[in-house]
Amino acid sequence: MNAPGIGATRYIGQRVPRKEDPRLLTGRGQFVDDITLPGMLHVAFARSPIARGKILSIDTAAALELPGVHAIYTNTELAAIKVEMLSFYLTPPTVPITPLANGSVAYVGDPIALVIADDRYIAEDAASLIEIQYEEEDPVVTISDAKTGAPVHAGTDNNIAAIMGVEEPDEDLEAILHSAPCLVTHRVTHQRIAQSPMETRGVIVTREGAEELTLYITCQSPHMIARYVSLALGLPDTSIRVIAKDVGGSFGLKNHPWREEMSVIIAGLLFGRPLKWIEDRVENLTSANQAREQEFLVRTAFDANGRLIASHGDYSVNNGAYPQGADCNIAVHMFMWAAYKMPAYAFLTRGWYSNTVGLAAYRGPWAMESLARETALDIAARRLGLEPIELRRRNLVTLTDQPLTTPFGIPLGDITPAECLEKLLETLDVAAFRVEQAEARKQGRYLGLGVAAYIEPTGSAGSIATMTGELAQLRIEPTGKVTATMSTHSQGHGTQTTMAQIIAEKLGVAYEDVTVFEGDSSRGGFSPGAAGSRQGVIAGGATIKASELLAEKVKTLASHLFNAPVESITIENGMVHIAGAKEMTRSLRAIAEIAYGEPARLPPGFEAGLEAQYRYTPPPMTFTSAAHACIVEVDTDTGFVKIQRWISCEDCGTIINPAVVEGQIAGGLAQAIGTVLLEEMSFDARGNPTAVTYKDYLLPSISDIPDFEYLHACTPSQSVGGIRGVGEGGAIIGPPTLVNAIADALAPFGEVPVELPLTPVKLLGVIEGRSLAHKAPEPVAVAAAAPLPAAAPPAPPPSAPSSAAADGMWKMILSTPMGPQEMKGQFITNGTLLTGTLFSDVGDQEFEGSITGNSLKWDLKVKKPISLTLKYDVQIDGDNLTGKVKMGFFGNAKLTGERLP
Amino acid sequence: MKAAPFDYQAPGSIEEACALLADAGGGASVLAGGQTLMPLLALRMSQPFVLLDINKIPTLQGVSRIEGATRIGPMTRQCEALTNDTLAGRLPVLVQALSHVGHHQTRNRGTIGGSIALGEPAAEMPATAVALGAVIEARSVRGVRRIAAEDFYLGPYMTVLEPDELVTAIDYPDWPAGHVTIFREVAQRPGDFALVGLVGALVLESGKITRAGLAWFGMGPTPVKARQAEAALLGQNLDGLDIEGLAALAIADTAPFDDHHATAEYRRTVGRRIFSRTLREALGRKEAA
Repeated sequence: MNAPGIGATRYIGQRVPRKEDPRLLTGRGQFVDDITLPGMLHVAFARSPIARGKILSIDTAAALELPGVHAIYTNTELAAIKVEMLSFYLTPPTVPITPLANGSVAYVGDPIALVIADDRYIAEDAASLIEIQYEEEDPVVTISDAKTGAPVHAGTDNNIAAIMGVEEPDEDLEAILHSAPCLVTHRVTHQRIAQSPMETRGVIVTREGAEELTLYITCQSPHMIARYVSLALGLPDTSIRVIAKDVGGSFGLKNHPWREEMSVIIAGLLFGRPLKWIEDRVENLTSANQAREQEFLVRTAFDANGRLIASHGDYSVNNGAYPQGADCNIAVHMFMWAAYKMPAYAFLTRGWYSNTVGLAAYRGPWAMESLARETALDIAARRLGLEPIELRRRNLVTLTDQPLTTPFGIPLGDITPAECLEKLLETLDVAAFRVEQAEARKQGRYLGLGVAAYIEPTGSAGSIATMTGELAQLRIEPTGKVTATMSTHSQGHGTQTTMAQIIAEKLGVAYEDVTVFEGDSSRGGFSPGAAGSRQGVIAGGATIKASELLAEKVKTLASHLFNAPVESITIENGMVHIAGAKEMTRSLRAIAEIAYGEPARLPPGFEAGLEAQYRYTPPPMTFTSAAHACIVEVDTDTGFVKIQRWISCEDCGTIINPAVVEGQIAGGLAQAIGTVLLEEMSFDARGNPTAVTYKDYLLPSISDIPDFEYLHACTPSQSVGGIRGVGEGGAIIGPPTLVNAIADALAPFGEVPVELPLTPVKLLGVIEGRSLAHKAPEPVAVAAAAPLPAAAPPAPPPSAPSSAAADGMWKMILSTPMGPQEMKGQFITNGTLLTGTLFSDVGDQEFEGSITGNSLKWDLKVKKPISLTLKYDVQIDGDNLTGKVKMGFFGNAKLTGERLP
Repeated sequence: MKAAPFDYQAPGSIEEACALLADAGGGASVLAGGQTLMPLLALRMSQPFVLLDINKIPTLQGVSRIEGATRIGPMTRQCEALTNDTLAGRLPVLVQALSHVGHHQTRNRGTIGGSIALGEPAAEMPATAVALGAVIEARSVRGVRRIAAEDFYLGPYMTVLEPDELVTAIDYPDWPAGHVTIFREVAQRPGDFALVGLVGALVLESGKITRAGLAWFGMGPTPVKARQAEAALLGQNLDGLDIEGLAALAIADTAPFDDHHATAEYRRTVGRRIFSRTLREALGRKEAA
């Protein structure tokens, strides 16, 4: 497979051996725990054994007496250094977050004190000697607790962490749904998932020099860590060096440092000696941020021919106590029907605080949309008597339908889920399977076929502050070998391989002669690293551009040296050739030696050396499409699922290395299989986690994963190089594919409720037609609390309304899908006429609107990240303002503000 | 997690080990293969004062023949037992069950005696010992006791072993050549503890069942001997077997519970199903042979 414009390729599209593998497979990788620094001490945490309560006292006296203990810090001691915890968007969190518990605990595992000792054994001995007294309170554990329970956070009046969409039913939409020939009401429950990187979290902090701080930390981007720590601690990032050579997986957890890492960093600054903390597996399963606990009620209407008419979604996600960004997962709704011809969709989406460990991103954070949609489509197909594939054919957006813009304002030009599905069907004989399935059923064997299709946004840049372009810095060294310093970072992604393939290809050198450096914030430039399936797309483009610039430089110099036209010069396998003059062929080394060492021979104005760099920012979104199929057999004696076959057909554009692409898909599918069949992070009614080791938290093992079959569609994208991201897809499309296969197998017994994981207990219950579930649990004790006030904040009492009360400068915070956005607004009123300006990071915007009493209304058109009209509706009460902003299909966002002096 | 402090002792003989256990006054944990104990130590769920490592006692290892029985030394590694010819010939169901104990890697360290002495109710080795009528030899400075496997288990991880006693042998009585083996395990992943497990042996003479040993694992607080089903099977002709009725009897002796992985009702339902399926298959295999 060739990248466009490259012609015959030697490296792009090839399964070259990974450069990372020799060191990783021979135990010579460098992970955080491999580092030992002189004078280094070890950290362990004392953590809360209860889910919610006030801390009455902390007695460290006995622990401090233990030989080998150097210091014990609580939040009181850490407060000597000011820290501002930040969300994923680098915005302030919506509730106050301290590194260690500040007077109260909010989940089991909440870190309370930090012990510094000679070794980890002593640190743990000491942690167990710290005496902490609590006044225990009733915890809010589940989403349903959160809806009715007492607020988790002081100073709030409910547990809503984030909310978007419309709370009041849309009468028109309801009428369409209720009058439709086929209405599928589908409730999907997704369990909580523990992020399970092979390398748990860990950090080593050391002060080097007066203002210098060096961190060895397992992360998704050393540059992102440096930026976060710089902002959180108010240190210049020039003084922070972050090193993360090899990382054993992340999946979203390590996007940025969180409470434990920041505690250790602050403790290191205070104590002065190098400190190491390695999260153990129990800590990882209880205190590392988790993901996915969601409920989604989707109602979808079809006409008699199976064409989509309208849909409504009511979505909730458990944010835990301290999410890495309060979130209501707006992306679920943006991509819910993006690849389908869906005339009308409305939603309500909410994130809820609870007394559980916080939420973090996890591979395909919005994956719930594919699960809910694709399983709903199969239910509809069964009801309508259609083959699920046929139902998709009638509704998927095809290439011939494009370009088009989705109701959310997302422009689609080249998505190919329908084409991927057709390509998949060239390999999968559905008719033959249906015959086999019918025969098997006669023998009491239950086979099922599941199919799903989806699109995902990849390589996003320019929409969120942290999502930037990528930087490639290339050098042909005086030795003639090529080194690249990249902004990329690998947690197993193989960027040292794929970027080297691109360089070898585009520069005309041997793959073996290219070395890629990453994993150190003192090298390369900023990027968020691995997040949002972006590195292939963006760093791939940057590397292509930088390679082209460098090749041009070589050619310019060779042209001058040999007095030959630039067009006649080619670089192949590290040799510079001049067309028609074989005797003039020189090695890159010979050219490089001149470029670096003989300035007198360089052309006028030629910068010495052979170096080039390029920072590439791609189009805002590059879509990857896929269709998957899976065949299972369900054992009706035990409810066990055996996966017999799994075919993936993805379109990730130009493929740099098929083995890397297939590795990404396989890894995502392994997580999908774990999600559907095995993994479950659960809590009892008191908020105690009930799966704290891998004996109870069941990850899929190699024997649970089938050999996947891969088909590649390869429609080049609009980005430089035509690459599309592929990091998350397997984890997004895998769950519905497998659930649909199980539901198809068990269709003779009735519908399978989509309550993940589909354990043997649940599936045997469907087969038996009776519940085999646990006896009803004791009623959950939830703190007595007033029920939530119904919708909309109460209108403030009119306090002598006067239009003039609005005039002046206001500071406002808008709760958007990308986190809280701060801005300033200037209002000028003239009778009922309102004029003003909003000042924010994206620039100044003027507007006109109206004022009635103390109610202000105005509209604002924005172009970025997508075209949208924002309708502001604001009430002023003295020096405060509250209100909402209707953001098109995104629904409503909350606005609060205060008058500036 | 790191273990809490403990003293480490590694005796070279059974006598020395028994003396150290007596000295420890109940504060010792015996380290055999360590596949369960080491994680428990690391989790600080087990905090012994003394860790008594019996890996250096050669007389605790190996398989031998004694009068009417096969003797397995408790420190015999599971991987060694899996490839032992005597066991393959004499106790085929034990070998079959062993292949479900943990994983290839854990069986390299894990021992037969360690698994039996630990008493995990969902593990294969305790139930196999109960089903086959094994006798467990325990020694202390006070003397030697021989305990029937079916009397050995009191509850999850609880046995009749006194704190000063060491398991020194497991004796499996002979089953005649050609006996019928019964084994079925339902576990979420290969190597996991069973949600439901059944193990046993039957002896057929002229179409009649003359001896039966059956036990469940994962079906109660201890391995559960299916006494009622065993009794009902004795003297029965293969032709007239009421397999569904036997399954119901076999389930009647169990006491499964709800846990993180499955419910009691699931275990009973699946137990009944796999009992029938496994018995049919085992007897069918016998008839075809």
